[in-house]
Amino acid sequence: MIENKVIRDTPGWGKIEVLGETYEPGSPRGEEAGRWRKKLETREEKLKYLRTAERYWYSADWFGSERRKNPA
Amino acid sequence: MSEERRQRSVDPATLEMLARASAEGINTVFDRAEKMKPCPIGAEGSCCKNCAMGPCRVPAPRGKEETTEEKKARVGLCGATAETIAARNFCRMIAAGSAAHSDHGRRIVEAFRIMAEGKAKDFTVRDEQKLLKLALDMGVEIGSRSNQEIALDIAHRCEAEFGKQEGELLFIKNAPLKRQEIWRKLGVVPRGIDREVVELMHRTHMGVDQDYRNIMRQGVRAALADGWGGSMIATELQDCLFGTPSPVLSEINLGVLREDMVNIIIHGHEPTLAEMLAEVSAEEEITAYARSKGAKGVNLAGMCCTANEVLMRHGVPIAGNFLQQELAIITGAVEAMVVDVQCIMQGLQEVAGCFHTRLITTDSRAKITGAMHIPFDEQKARECAIAIVKTAIDNFPNRRGGVHIPQAKQPVVAGFSHETINYLLGGLFRASYRPLNDNIINGRIRGVAGVVGCNNARTPHDSAHVTLIKELIKNDVLVLSTGCGAMAAAKAGLMVPEAAKEFCGGGLAEVCEAVGIPPVLHMGACVDNSRILIAATAMVKDGGLGDDISELPAAGAAPEWMSEKAIAIGQYFVASGVFTVFGATWPTLGSREFTEYLFRDMEEMYGARWAFEPDPVKAARLMIEHIDRRRKALGIDKARERILYDMAMRRQLEG
Repeated sequence: MIENKVIRDTPGWGKIEVLGETYEPGSPRGEEAGRWRKKLETREEKLKYLRTAERYWYSADWFGSERRKNPA
Repeated sequence: MSEERRQRSVDPATLEMLARASAEGINTVFDRAEKMKPCPIGAEGSCCKNCAMGPCRVPAPRGKEETTEEKKARVGLCGATAETIAARNFCRMIAAGSAAHSDHGRRIVEAFRIMAEGKAKDFTVRDEQKLLKLALDMGVEIGSRSNQEIALDIAHRCEAEFGKQEGELLFIKNAPLKRQEIWRKLGVVPRGIDREVVELMHRTHMGVDQDYRNIMRQGVRAALADGWGGSMIATELQDCLFGTPSPVLSEINLGVLREDMVNIIIHGHEPTLAEMLAEVSAEEEITAYARSKGAKGVNLAGMCCTANEVLMRHGVPIAGNFLQQELAIITGAVEAMVVDVQCIMQGLQEVAGCFHTRLITTDSRAKITGAMHIPFDEQKARECAIAIVKTAIDNFPNRRGGVHIPQAKQPVVAGFSHETINYLLGGLFRASYRPLNDNIINGRIRGVAGVVGCNNARTPHDSAHVTLIKELIKNDVLVLSTGCGAMAAAKAGLMVPEAAKEFCGGGLAEVCEAVGIPPVLHMGACVDNSRILIAATAMVKDGGLGDDISELPAAGAAPEWMSEKAIAIGQYFVASGVFTVFGATWPTLGSREFTEYLFRDMEEMYGARWAFEPDPVKAARLMIEHIDRRRKALGIDKARERILYDMAMRRQLEG
């Protein structure tokens, strides 16, 4: 996953770095269109996604309903 | 078409082929179901044949209340009560169902280990992300180790799950914390997969466990060993080996067969051979060989749960579900039906004999008298697949009796694994179940239902599935589906995004349109019901809908169940906190006390219970009422108007 950051000129704050668009351009078609897991290429990207998305309740900063009682 | 025929199925392709079968004088499961009625004593679980003093029959009296004396006298030779007999029979169904799914899981672990050892050259880790997820779940070191090294450790840990004698199954940790505590408190956490099945068979042997509550406690343990053990291992390792399903467009019903091509149907449950067949059948060399025999190429199509596996991962079209297996051969267009394990009717061989079709068994655990056997060996997967495909191609010139392929087929979007649902709800940037939970809380989605299970020749084919699902989505209940139930929904056109506009209530339609998903999500084969458990857990963990699966506005159903696996699945759903309604028939009605234990008392123990309702509309109402009760308990039963605050209103608040 490529981190797309852009510099924006913001009133009062000057130039700041913000995240750019993360969507895919155009409308993907064909057999590979739905194969989203291929977007994560390196092991680091995959682990990061696992920790922040699929297994985020195992990470330190998740906010699910069980958190307030017993840390998983 | 006669009224009698119409009642056999709601699927036009099925009716068309039944008419052909009738014209040709070919017997199918539909004919046999009409000729042979189910044994009324066995159907209600009142026949005990666990020892040679029997079989003992203890049927409940019909049409009148039983006196205390009559009930006392209603025992087997050994004195076993109707309660004990019904519980033993029920639990033996759980044992067989759990064994079936778990033995499927065991074979996948074996294939996975052979792959990790480098002995299965045709297989590799297709989904590294799932491998890493499993490594994290199982505490396997990742570091800079290769996928093969990590896979080998995972394979060994999974193998150990089957033979473990004490402790807890590893995947139990994936359940919500509160659910784990309920299981521990009740003493039903599975220790090892095989142990729970073996102990259940022992305890239901003549003269062992004779208290239905205690028998059932082990029944629950064995069922959990299936859902959170054998089935979950099968699903997870299959994803590693063959890829985690993601959305794919394909077609379903007998109309996917081709007159001008060699048709191979893969039927059964385990995807290892089917994966290789999918790869091989598309190769140029194979197409050229098919051309040399007069065909345009090879058309691979699925049947039953193997079909779901290769549909989800490759978009291989599905020819039909359980009750269509004989009918596919009756098209006269099937060169080979390749089978492995589970739900394969022996009647296939008789039907195949009326045509040129080769029935090919591939697994040493499941041979059929008269069928051809080509053993599948994971270490020579490609060679085996080529041999099977060439056998089918060689059979193409032998077609006889005319080809009749129904035109009926429907588009289907499948591939909604738990991971994909998570991704679709937020993309890579913020994947989570939050949007689903939010839409349940705000009432657009009333709740979630798992509608799964088989076909049953005692009820009109596909009818209960389709009616039940339509009633649910009309009432804004999002449906997750697997197995033959998923196929019924797909054939009825419910598994395309456009179905939302036509069949759903306004709230669910809005959400489906926003996310771009069908209102009925295809989550895979029957072994993949474990995906529904994980999806339910993810909803709990995301917050806002209680601390346990039993608190979710969710319910389950198997309106056309038939196999013992369905009972095991139903029991692990109930024990996991899901209110579960079965249709067709119910196998414990011979004992009111035991039935009430399942239908009422389990609620106090597990926060969920069984129910039986053969009318699909009434079954849907039961599920919706349950969902509404859960919504009320969560305090989300009243619609709240959304107000956009302007600055003046905010100042007023602060004041």
